[in-house]
Formats: sequence, structure tokens, C-alpha cells
Amino acid sequence: MKDNLSVDWTVDELMITTLAATLENDDQACNGMASFIPVIAFQLARLTHAPDLVWLASAIGLDARPERVPASTLEAPLWRDSVMYVEQFSTFWDIVLNGSWLQKFCVGAAQVDRYGNGNNSVIGDDYHRPKVRLPGTAGLGDMGSIGKRLFFWNPNHNPRSFVEKVDFVSCAGWLGGGDERERLGLSGGPELVITNLCVMDFHPKTKHMRLKSVHPGVTVGEVQEATGFELLVEDSSLPETAIPTAEQVRLIREVIDPDGMRLREFGGR
Amino acid sequence: MPEDKLTSLADAVANIEDGATVAIQNMATQSAPMASVRELIRQGRTGLEIVALVGGIPIDLMAAAGSMERFTGAAVSMEQFGLCQAYRGAVESGRITVNELSETALNARLGAGARNLPFLPTKGLIGTDLIEINPDLIMISDPFGGSDVVACRSLIPDVALIHCHRADRFGNLQMEPTALWPDIGIMPKAARKVIATVEEIVDTEVLRNSPERTYFPGFMVDAVVEVPYGAHPTSFNPFYGYDTAFHRDWIAVARDPEGVESWMQRYVYEPDTQEEYLERAGGTERLEELKRWEITE
Repeated sequence: MKDNLSVDWTVDELMITTLAATLENDDQACNGMASFIPVIAFQLARLTHAPDLVWLASAIGLDARPERVPASTLEAPLWRDSVMYVEQFSTFWDIVLNGSWLQKFCVGAAQVDRYGNGNNSVIGDDYHRPKVRLPGTAGLGDMGSIGKRLFFWNPNHNPRSFVEKVDFVSCAGWLGGGDERERLGLSGGPELVITNLCVMDFHPKTKHMRLKSVHPGVTVGEVQEATGFELLVEDSSLPETAIPTAEQVRLIREVIDPDGMRLREFGGR
Repeated sequence: MPEDKLTSLADAVANIEDGATVAIQNMATQSAPMASVRELIRQGRTGLEIVALVGGIPIDLMAAAGSMERFTGAAVSMEQFGLCQAYRGAVESGRITVNELSETALNARLGAGARNLPFLPTKGLIGTDLIEINPDLIMISDPFGGSDVVACRSLIPDVALIHCHRADRFGNLQMEPTALWPDIGIMPKAARKVIATVEEIVDTEVLRNSPERTYFPGFMVDAVVEVPYGAHPTSFNPFYGYDTAFHRDWIAVARDPEGVESWMQRYVYEPDTQEEYLERAGGTERLEELKRWEITE
């Protein structure tokens, strides 16, 4: 019974289960600001296929046990019942930069381009007089360059978010594509992009963003229309994204996020 | 007898000059030295370079008040309350410039400042556009033959403003167990001066009960001021949560000059004491809610 597929899943839950599936039992994961989808995916993975997954809630609370997902993914209610408070300057960044741990990182960026470069700095041509001043690079400017495997999520797939070329690279993806990243000596890089419409990966040679699966009910044409560059579509019979199980949906709705905080990510970023 | 560092907020802040580089503790909606920030605005300081890890409402207030002309740090955001709109407007119109750093680059700059080094390297940021636009970041080769690194120029703020849980009158500062970001981990160590507000001043004997909670020795600290709820409306774990209604009130006026002016009068210019400020922010009833972390939105 446990593996029965859900009959009433919604796209937020589909994004969460898709992201959760990328996590393994021996991984460590951390989350930053406004990261409901990753936070719920980590907790879901811990409750299902990856019970030993280590979670640094808000990059602070080791194996935190929040009562429920709170309104902030950075504030104290998220790191309730932690095993340890990881001091950021002296400990967290050493853990990250060492290279042995926290190999995967979830990225939310205002703009992502066809080569998986991310932008959270400015919209517009002139960095110093931007059309829109975005929050800033924060940890992304580091995570893109230090060998991490990057998993993007974006609940609002639209042509302003998925652009031919980001206005400003504040998170290094595959840069100009091909082997440019490798030539700079950078390992890791973007692996997967999960949106409200589809899942995308990157062509192994060109590093061009490629459609991997579309969510049930979504057409390739709809994804292309919502994307500001020409998507690579290799497979004429593209698979549908695997849908959540009934048990996964129950855990998300009843145990992890009963207040539906995850829905705050939808409808404009 | 060690030097008595106990002073008033007005006197502590009076020594900060126009154009100074001021580092402030703050991570989005958390732990900002708000009483000190309001006092800076009250005293009409201008031209400040504000250094913060992730600046929230204090950055927006200083941007709206015209106190700052430069931001140095990793991001500016009030997280679930959205972008800092006054700051955003000021950057987009060219009134505030941004020295944007990744977290490891900010840590490296402050680490170099703290240790009297010209720079420290990071491997973050390689491949991004952030190096090119920032004169304080330069790619250099590894003298030992490895791959290139980014040299991050030393940053020494004129003063660091922080808020701690308790202190004695000699400036020995304690933090309760909580998240400690680099604004406590390194920022005060790099600054020329440290001004600390604290929830309570206690006898030195009280600090001896839990020396593991003392983060800064008094000799590093130039002034200490007792300001209960000194981080309001940001959270100060474990003592109190962030004030949602207060954040929302600010956001509602942040891009309207008249609204900003009356908000500033009400919360910054008119209250002569912290008690009066807190009364205007909702008084005891509201503070009791914040103490219980009653956060529903």
C-alpha cells in the first residue's frame, strides 16, 4: 500500500519529491533563506529513503527537528531541537570548503541561463545603475565555484527567469558551456533544474540546458514558451516526471508542512 | 580595576563620524543592533559605508534616512518580508553603491582585517562577474603552484555595532547559545572599535557562572550600553522573536517619502528612551508575544 501513487498530488509536492529523489542516505544538506521546497525535500528524504541524511537547518542547526515548517527557513523555529549549533564563520564554511562534505547544494536564483549560470545580483546592463537591485549573491557566489553539485529549483518557470544569458553571473554554472568550467579548474556544477513545469538537466558535452521530463499535463511546447531560450529536446517521446506516492504526499501535508508554507514560493519570486 | 565601559547610547554613537565604515550584526530578520542604528539615524549621520553579512530592516531604515551611501556585504533582504525597498530604490537611482561579496569573500576580507594581513584568499567567486566589478577582489596565482585564487583585500571597519545577551560594565560580552553568524564570529574582531548594546548589565560574578558564553573580552570593547529589546524588531534568539507586524508596517511606507517621514518621527526621532520606543511598538503585551516566539506569519 505504501507505494501507491498519489491521486491528488499538486505541483509543489511533485517538485519536492523530485528534489528529494536526488538526495542519498550518506549526503549532507543545508538550506538558506526562503527555501521551503529544499527544506521540505530534505525532511521528506529523511522520513523515507534517506533516514541518515544529515541536515544543517539554515546552515546552523545540525539534524534539527522543527515542529512544522515555519514562516522563515532561516529563523530559530527551523533549527529547533538541533544536535549542534554550527558556528558559521569557524565551522560551517570549513565544513563546506573542505570538499569532503555537503557536496550538493540547492540554488534558487532570480535568473538562470541556458548554461545554468545564476543571477541574484542585478537586472539590467549596468551593474552600478541596475534596473532592479536583487538581494545579492550571498552564499551562491561561493557554492557555484567550489565544486558543489548544484540543483536549481524555480516554482515560477517563465521567460524572465530562464534567459539566454544572465544579466550578471553571481553563481558560476557551466559559464559559456562546453569545457569552460573545467578550463578554469572548477569541478562540480549544475546538474538538475526542477520547475513547476518540468525537470531539466544539461547536455554532457555542450552543457546546454536540456529537457529531461515534463510534469503530467504539461506539453513540451508550453515549457518552451515559458523559457527565454531554445531548449534542447533530444527525445521525441519525452518521459513524464514521476509523480509522488500517496505516502509522500501525506508526509508533506500532515507531518512536515501542515501550514502549507511551501505554497508561498509559488506565484512570483 | 578595569576601565568602566558603561555609557549611554547617545554618547556611544556620538563618536562615529560621517562617512565612517560601520559594521553591523544582522542576518536578514535576525539579531541587529537596532537601538544603535536608530541612534545613528537620530544623530543625522550621513555618508556611512555599512558592512553586513545579510542586511535586513536596519539597512532599509538607513537607506531611507539617507544615512548610508555604500553597502558592503553578501546580500540585503528581509527574507519572508521581501526585498528592502528603500535600499533597492536608492541603489537603482545611484544614491547607494554596492560592494557585493560572497560569504567567503566577506569572511576573508574581515579575517584579513582581524589578523593584520593585506588579504586572504578564497576559491569562491571564480567564474562569476563579481570579481571584475569589485576592486577589492583580484585573481592571483598560487605561489606554491596550485590553481588561481581570489585575493580579498583586508577590510577594517571603523566600528562594529553588535547586540549581545549580557555584559558586565567592563564590556565582557556574553551570548546565549544560538546561531552565531560571521557578524559575531569575525566582524567585531576586524573593527577598530566595538560598541555593544546588551539586554542586561550584570555583575562580573554572573559571567563567571558560564564563562563558555563569553564571546568578547572587555578590552576589545569600547562601549557597552544596556538596552532591553535592543534588537527589536529583529529576532534575538532565545530571548525574543522577530516582530512581523512591525516589519510589515515599515514595508508599507518604505517607498513613500511622506510615509517614511512620519514613520521615522514615530519610531526614531520622537522616542527619547528605549521604553518609549517599545511602548510605541506595542508595549508589554506585544513584547510578551515576541518572547513566546508567537509567530504565525
